[in-house]
Amino acid sequence: MISDSIANASIAMASSNPKDFGKKKRANRSAKLKQCKLDARREQWLSQVKSNGGCKEEVHGGGMTHGLPAGPENGRRIPIEKLELKPRVEGIYGEMHQYSDSESSPSNSPTSHSSSELGSNDSGANFTASSRSSSSSGRSSSSSSNGCFSGGISDEDEGGVGDDGCLDDWEAMADALAATEDKQQEHIPNSGLDSPPSEKHGGSTKYGSQLSVKDRPFSGDDISNAKQESGGTAIQKSLIHSQAWRPDDAFRPQSLPNMSKQHSFQLDSERHFGQGGSVWGCKNVGPVPKSCPICYEDLDCTDSSFLPCLCGFRLCLFCHKRILEEDGRCPGCRKQYDCDPVEGEATLDGGSLIFRLARSCHMTTTS
Amino acid sequence: MQASRARLFKEYKEVQREKVADPDIQLVCDDSNIFKWTALIKGPSETPYDGGVFQLAFSVPEQYPLQPPQVRFLTKIFHPNVHFKTGEICLDILKNAWSPAWTLQSVCRAIIALMAHPEPDSPLNCDSGNLLRSGDIRGYQSMARMYTRLAAMPKKGELVFR
Repeated sequence: MISDSIANASIAMASSNPKDFGKKKRANRSAKLKQCKLDARREQWLSQVKSNGGCKEEVHGGGMTHGLPAGPENGRRIPIEKLELKPRVEGIYGEMHQYSDSESSPSNSPTSHSSSELGSNDSGANFTASSRSSSSSGRSSSSSSNGCFSGGISDEDEGGVGDDGCLDDWEAMADALAATEDKQQEHIPNSGLDSPPSEKHGGSTKYGSQLSVKDRPFSGDDISNAKQESGGTAIQKSLIHSQAWRPDDAFRPQSLPNMSKQHSFQLDSERHFGQGGSVWGCKNVGPVPKSCPICYEDLDCTDSSFLPCLCGFRLCLFCHKRILEEDGRCPGCRKQYDCDPVEGEATLDGGSLIFRLARSCHMTTTS
Repeated sequence: MQASRARLFKEYKEVQREKVADPDIQLVCDDSNIFKWTALIKGPSETPYDGGVFQLAFSVPEQYPLQPPQVRFLTKIFHPNVHFKTGEICLDILKNAWSPAWTLQSVCRAIIALMAHPEPDSPLNCDSGNLLRSGDIRGYQSMARMYTRLAAMPKKGELVFR
């Protein structure tokens, strides 16, 4: 089968071409992540060696029982200004935080693991929550003692990651974190040096999360009120985020939830076709195929959210472009892709442009 | 060019995988040229082609799958939509109704369906078409049956005639 081998080689070349870039990127990213993880581990060790007194508790509370080695301690080591000013750094550490979390503790992994599979958006969401909390607690630690800080942190992490119910709802988790953060702010000055009341903290965490899930607006308002009373710079900063982000919120991290991402995709496609509700209806008509039915290449996430025809026939952007260059008929229903060819071209350009933008945005936030 | 190769190779793998699934179709790729395929299809039951095995020749263009493959019968067949001498097939999906979503396998299925449901109104074989259009179904069936026995069942035919 000479032809087969030839074809195989050429196919490998052909098929690898469009994907190569993405693969490289991914590889780069994972390499970066690994590097970050290593760095974080080293930092952690260093920090443990340096600050011996309070940090032993830290090891017990954060590292071993909850399987959360790197994130918060590391966040403390980094200058606070860095954490706040550079979202890139936050992103990397946040992702690393989440990855190491799902690796080291399989017991509470199911939700976090699946969410990391869903895309780096989720880990991004995690990082915003965790890194912000670490930054604020970093401030609080600067004002109060080490022991107190460690207790608070470990509890907070448990409340954020270990609680499965919270993870399902990102908004709720954000609320819960904000709530615990707030509670911590109130707690720390009271508890002082000697007794980091971890149990109390745990209780308050649970309480906060439940409350926020059940009655979100109430808790949010309550918290913000409390914060306004207590004042302070760190509190001022977290005040902005005390409530869950609305989709149109300017402070909402771009990479936060997957849901809104898809939502925005749907919006794009709607705008793209200008057909309103019918597109929404068609969107759910058939299951998304794994590979393009034309070239049999696997569909990536951009392709699988691409719905060029109302009949629901999906194909990859590459084949779509090739078809438009030929006769421009949908392979599924054999109708012209758009009634007006000129307008069709324009909307296609617009649509692909939007998709490309979305993808590049994705890249920059995650890599 | 590369895209069509890739696609054809994937189809080849698909065919290898589904060999058991569709016993009526046997698609074989030419050893030295992936753009040349041969198919053996079984005549559908309850038609005059029942029991015959018909050979099809596929010639795949480089623009495939945007352009349809060229298919013709290598085995002689008496059918209103198949040219009696050249084996050319008059089938809309092989012409203007082609869709890139079709595969060689699905083309074979379409041809089997065409054998079961001839379209005498757009005939390539006028004799066959005229028989059907004039309502002489029995005449059409006996002619088709005869050619099936003659051409599509060579061993049996040889046995019968000896």
